[in-house]
Amino acid sequence: MSATFERGLNALREQIDAPVASFFTSCVNCGLCAEACIFYRATEDPKYIPIKKLDLMRRVWSREFTLFGWIAGALGLVKPVTDKDFSDWETLVYDSCTMCGRCTLVCPVGNDITMMIRKMREGMSAAGHAPVELIAAAGRHADLGSPMGELHPALHAQVKHAIKDTGIEIEFDKPGVDYMVILSAQEIAEFPDVLGAMAKIFKKAGLTWTISNEAFEATNVGIQLGNRDVARVLVQRVVDAAEKLGVKYVISPECGHAYQALRWEGPNLIGRSYKFEVIHIIELLDKLRAEGKLKTKGKNTQKLTFHDPCQINRRGGINGEPRRLMNMVAENFVETDDAGTMNWCCGGGGGVGSNERAEGLRHAAFKLKKIQLEKVEPEVIVTMCAYCHHTLDNVLEEFNMDQEVMGLTELVAEYLDDDV
Amino acid sequence: MSNKAMLPELMKTHGISRRAFMKYCASLASVMALSPAMVPRIAEALENARRPSVIWLSFQECTGCTESILRSHSPTIEDLIFNAISLDYHHTLQAASGHAAEAAREQAMKENYGKYILVVDGSIPIKDPGYSCIAGISNLDMLKETAAGAAAIVSVGTCAAYGGIGHADPNPTGAVGVSEIIKDKPIINVPGCPPIPVVMTGVLAHFLTFGIPDLDELGRPKAFYGESIHDRCYRRPFYDKGMFAENFDDEGARGGWCLYKLGCKGPITKSACATIKWNNGVSFPIEAGHPCLGCTEPDFWDNGGFYKPLSVPAGDYRKAGVAAVAGGAAIGVASALMSKAKKAKAAKAHETVDAHDLEKSS
Repeated sequence: MSATFERGLNALREQIDAPVASFFTSCVNCGLCAEACIFYRATEDPKYIPIKKLDLMRRVWSREFTLFGWIAGALGLVKPVTDKDFSDWETLVYDSCTMCGRCTLVCPVGNDITMMIRKMREGMSAAGHAPVELIAAAGRHADLGSPMGELHPALHAQVKHAIKDTGIEIEFDKPGVDYMVILSAQEIAEFPDVLGAMAKIFKKAGLTWTISNEAFEATNVGIQLGNRDVARVLVQRVVDAAEKLGVKYVISPECGHAYQALRWEGPNLIGRSYKFEVIHIIELLDKLRAEGKLKTKGKNTQKLTFHDPCQINRRGGINGEPRRLMNMVAENFVETDDAGTMNWCCGGGGGVGSNERAEGLRHAAFKLKKIQLEKVEPEVIVTMCAYCHHTLDNVLEEFNMDQEVMGLTELVAEYLDDDV
Repeated sequence: MSNKAMLPELMKTHGISRRAFMKYCASLASVMALSPAMVPRIAEALENARRPSVIWLSFQECTGCTESILRSHSPTIEDLIFNAISLDYHHTLQAASGHAAEAAREQAMKENYGKYILVVDGSIPIKDPGYSCIAGISNLDMLKETAAGAAAIVSVGTCAAYGGIGHADPNPTGAVGVSEIIKDKPIINVPGCPPIPVVMTGVLAHFLTFGIPDLDELGRPKAFYGESIHDRCYRRPFYDKGMFAENFDDEGARGGWCLYKLGCKGPITKSACATIKWNNGVSFPIEAGHPCLGCTEPDFWDNGGFYKPLSVPAGDYRKAGVAAVAGGAAIGVASALMSKAKKAKAAKAHETVDAHDLEKSS
């Protein structure tokens, strides 16, 4: 089987429900979402107004699900949607939206524009109009277990390194432990220090944990594609592994859409609730801090700022936790403008980062982040998403900015109190 | 009785000085919003006016309009003007009764045919003319008969002008105003429940001096009904600031704030109440702390509750609203069912997407 226009149109029809109908009818064209969107703000091109990116879905809705649409359609007054429309909209839906959720938050009538983009991607992906990089990543993820391909050897090598560095044993597939750790491919490939950091913190706190060989990959390319069938298969792998091991918690790593996939979309995708709880690594660290199981000594003296990943803060609700942890280990912690739930996106989320076609737009969108950073002039940018980390590293280099980027878990692990 | 003494002689017999008369003419000019240059013309016209015959017919009414005109702070110069006209028939005020009264009307009509002024207060029942009769003659017949020889008709009060309270829903008598029946005579509407005394006398004076005044689309003299009460209300600054009394005993009511939220109809009511006021210029309803009822407007009785703010829809709108909601709901349910069926069909047609199905076969 392959993707076809008919499948895409059918998928779009499936997505149109009462919230979509009420969102389209209640839009007052106020333009606030435009001002909230990094891509519109960076380019001021009206085609990047968030609600306008949904025009194709709006057309399907009004043509096929409204009284006036039926009448106008019967009279031949509205054009039917064609495959050309799908290909015209592909760049708007995939290249110029990181699903950061800022538009949803500012909408005065409460329209969840981000959720509608997610729905529209269902149609686009089923019609074969997803970016080629995401399609290829989906194939690798399905066949080889990770969007980057076969990562088993790399993971095992990194774990060995971590054991050597810390002297702490890390066991695979150990049943009966409380926590199962999953990782983003980005961490395994690019930021493996997080493994040793977690091992040290968990040992101090007395947590029992393991990594599953069957499902260590936390990312979910199905969510970025906006295809629930693909996303379901990938979530199911993690759920099966966790339930087989009988863990109480699965720790979602420092990765934005992985948290979105497992914590919020997962149970809806597989159609039931989990037999375990999903907890984000930063949520867990803050919980340990509150329980007195996370003790640090000394503080970082550099000027640090924090970058809030959209999927974890704005769309995930984790806002106070990283700040409490930052204040624990940072002497000179400064916030940027709009920090917290209204933070500007790094520009790489929602599949935009891996999309080569979108590079120019991604760099343009960094403008807003750059203004934020230039105002504060931090030495180090701390974040809690490996993909934000990756994107920031790349754009900082592109713009010749010399800030360092690091993960919050690593930062906290550096200041663990070894005497306790 | 009519067409006898001229005004100057009457003034002498009533001990009124020339100065007092000119002062009256000036105040009349200001009340009617005429230029001061018109004062001598008013004086001249009044001096030379012959006492026209006036026939006053009262139909379905409460005598409030008559009571009002009697209270034009008598004795004043307005009283004189009423002496200056010849009120030949007014069944509440005249001394004659029974056959003699009707004979007076018939005689006045005969002697001044085509020249007399007909003043009407009260509405006319047309569902069954027998609902209201005088001397065995139905109101409808008496109006038609008397109007035939009138030079002009002045409809005094909202009942005569627009049907008023008699016309209020469900209107059991089929009450209507004069202009619904008489189509071939000039009609001046002087609505109000009752109208301000000086407005009634002022309109008559205008008619005597300059003929029919400028009328608005509802047949009201623009001089007295040109502006809304709201535009001239001394509480307007509170409205502009958004300070409203919400209750009759709250801080706002005591502080004299705007009564809009207590149902004041001032914004849609055209009348001179806020400027000329009542009881010799002492006060008017809003100044006394009560919202305007809107009595100079047609159907004011059916215009929602007196204490409901204007923003609350009233009357037929409500029924129409309910019908529209019901109709809309029916269409909505029908389209929702169709949409649901369409969505279900789409769900049924769903073919699970495999990670390898994402590319188009070209």
